[in-house]
Amino acid sequence: MPQLGVSVVEGTVIRWLVGVGDDVAADQPLCEVDTDKIVTDIPSPAAGTLAELLVHEGETVEVGATLARISKTGRSGSHVDHERPEFHSPVVQRLAAEHGVDLGGVPGTGRGGRISKQDVLAAVEKPLHTESPYRAEAPAGQLSRMRRAIGAHMKRSLETAATCTTWMECDMARVEQSRRGAKASSLLGVTPLPIVARAAMDVLGEHPALNATLEGERYTRHEAVHLGVAVSLGEDGLIVPVIRDAHALTVEELGVAIRELAKRARKQQLSPDEVGGGTFTVTNPGQFGSLMATPVINQPQVAILDLEAVVKRAIVIEDADGNDVIEIRPQTILGLSWDHRALDGAQAAQFLGALRRRLERWDG
Amino acid sequence: MPTMTYLEAIADALREQLRADPRVFVLGEDVGAFGGAFKVTDGFVEEFGEERVIDTPLAEAAIVGAAVGAAVVGMRPVCEMQFADFVACGFDQLVNVAGKTHYRFGLAVPLVVRLPSGGGFSGGPFHSQNPEAWFMHAPGIKVLAPSTAEDAKGLLTAAIRDPNPVVFLEHKHLYRRVKGEVPEGIYETPMSARVVREGTDLTVIAYGAMVHAALEASAPEALDGASVEILDLRSLVPLDTQAILASVAKTSKALIVDEANETCAAGAQVAALIAEHAFEQLDGPVRRVATPDVPIPFSPPLEQAVLPSVERIRDACRDLLDY
Repeated sequence: MPQLGVSVVEGTVIRWLVGVGDDVAADQPLCEVDTDKIVTDIPSPAAGTLAELLVHEGETVEVGATLARISKTGRSGSHVDHERPEFHSPVVQRLAAEHGVDLGGVPGTGRGGRISKQDVLAAVEKPLHTESPYRAEAPAGQLSRMRRAIGAHMKRSLETAATCTTWMECDMARVEQSRRGAKASSLLGVTPLPIVARAAMDVLGEHPALNATLEGERYTRHEAVHLGVAVSLGEDGLIVPVIRDAHALTVEELGVAIRELAKRARKQQLSPDEVGGGTFTVTNPGQFGSLMATPVINQPQVAILDLEAVVKRAIVIEDADGNDVIEIRPQTILGLSWDHRALDGAQAAQFLGALRRRLERWDG
Repeated sequence: MPTMTYLEAIADALREQLRADPRVFVLGEDVGAFGGAFKVTDGFVEEFGEERVIDTPLAEAAIVGAAVGAAVVGMRPVCEMQFADFVACGFDQLVNVAGKTHYRFGLAVPLVVRLPSGGGFSGGPFHSQNPEAWFMHAPGIKVLAPSTAEDAKGLLTAAIRDPNPVVFLEHKHLYRRVKGEVPEGIYETPMSARVVREGTDLTVIAYGAMVHAALEASAPEALDGASVEILDLRSLVPLDTQAILASVAKTSKALIVDEANETCAAGAQVAALIAEHAFEQLDGPVRRVATPDVPIPFSPPLEQAVLPSVERIRDACRDLLDY
């Protein structure tokens, strides 16, 4: 409130002529003030942006009181002066480009935190520990939204569950025989996944403790199997679409469902409903030749089945006469990561054993 | 080496050239019997006679016009304006005749016009100007502005020996205030810039009296030990582009100080040069300190308010150093 006359000690703001966020010029009228003698405009003492009105219309304040705050930096808010400017001087930009310096990691010592030429040169001479050692190979960038989501989910799972993994060898001769027979109809994919999934559905019916979710201390067994299938999207990441009521589907129907979901997942056409609500998950790193990959449980489920590569091995089996013979057979390793909070190792092994027997005697 | 004032060094150069080259003569108002308004040619008429130290009427157009004619026929005239301000009366002869004769007729015009310039002594609007930019804008004329006694002698010698018309700005404020060792005998100072003080954090570009103001303003003890480079242009035409750009490349910050009125002054040309050719070297805005676009007031406080002061230059230095 300026001193509007020698004897004036206070004034009443009648009307504001500008609002917060408005750009104001020097000497532009800001408000009308009644000093019980006259009504007069109060000119702006500076150019800038009106950041704050401190006196309401109708309010009477003493001479010297602050009526409003004007930000000279052109943006409203009281912290604007401390904001780090995004502008970099020409020499800073040039030096950063020449030396491959990521200016985001350079502390600024200039006015208002500005990065000065000296700051860049200091960063060139003494590379910051926070910088990636691979910056020469690839421009620095942030993780994609999907990678961040996967990362957060995986970390949460490992931090939440008491994850154990059980492995079991499995002879896949019958499964492979069945796949070869089915290829003519081309209903199945290139991997034994639909058959293994179908077998797992049957075994889950016998071991319902694994078709369950555990949220906090709330452990829920589910009647229906909503089967999550991990689908790789290449470098972009991974997504786990869910086949509803998978227990009710045939091998062929599972094969079609897996193929369709994978296709739509890669086209980013999945709806949110199709990626949630799973009760059990299967992952298939074997399609890429993996022999043993420890799966991470898809929270809040309690187990995840892992299908590895089918490879030919020389193994010892018993022939019809009860003699041990060495035979060349297609083998795989079945893995199961399970949550020791909800299950014990015996249940996991029993589940895998039952699945193994079912696959070794597959007659599809 | 003898110590001389800036004024004595100018007189020394003139005397030596008058002695060495019979084509050289001086002309101007009161240069003879009175020895010049500032006594630069004191004693000259006694040594060289009235034919070589010519008192003229109060007519600058006649002084410059006569010099152009003499130069065209092979003489080396050195004109004195009592005050640089008065050269406006000889402007046509200098800009339209002297500056263009080589281009129109292929004839050399080796003349020098000495311009006692600058303010700081309550000389008022007619006796304080810095008109160098008028001539920078006129093709065909060289423009020199020394800041030290040694350079004053060497540059005036070079100017007299130069085949082109040369405008020689001698700052009145420096006449008797600036002293220094000056080599004996004839020597030429190159028409290029000089690094007065080396520095790494900021370049201050100045000429004439402002070199001294810049030196005082940017003393390390006055600026928390900052390392400020001072570049004395010495010659405005030709302008030492290379030295300017080299210094800015080193420091990445430039402050240009000139005593002339701000608009279209020599400093504006330097600023434009830096903006165009050193953009990617800059770590701050190109700043200028100059005299506002007003005539120089008589009133001592008002004159001190408009001329670039040590304080204003120092504030600008600080602002750029902190940027």
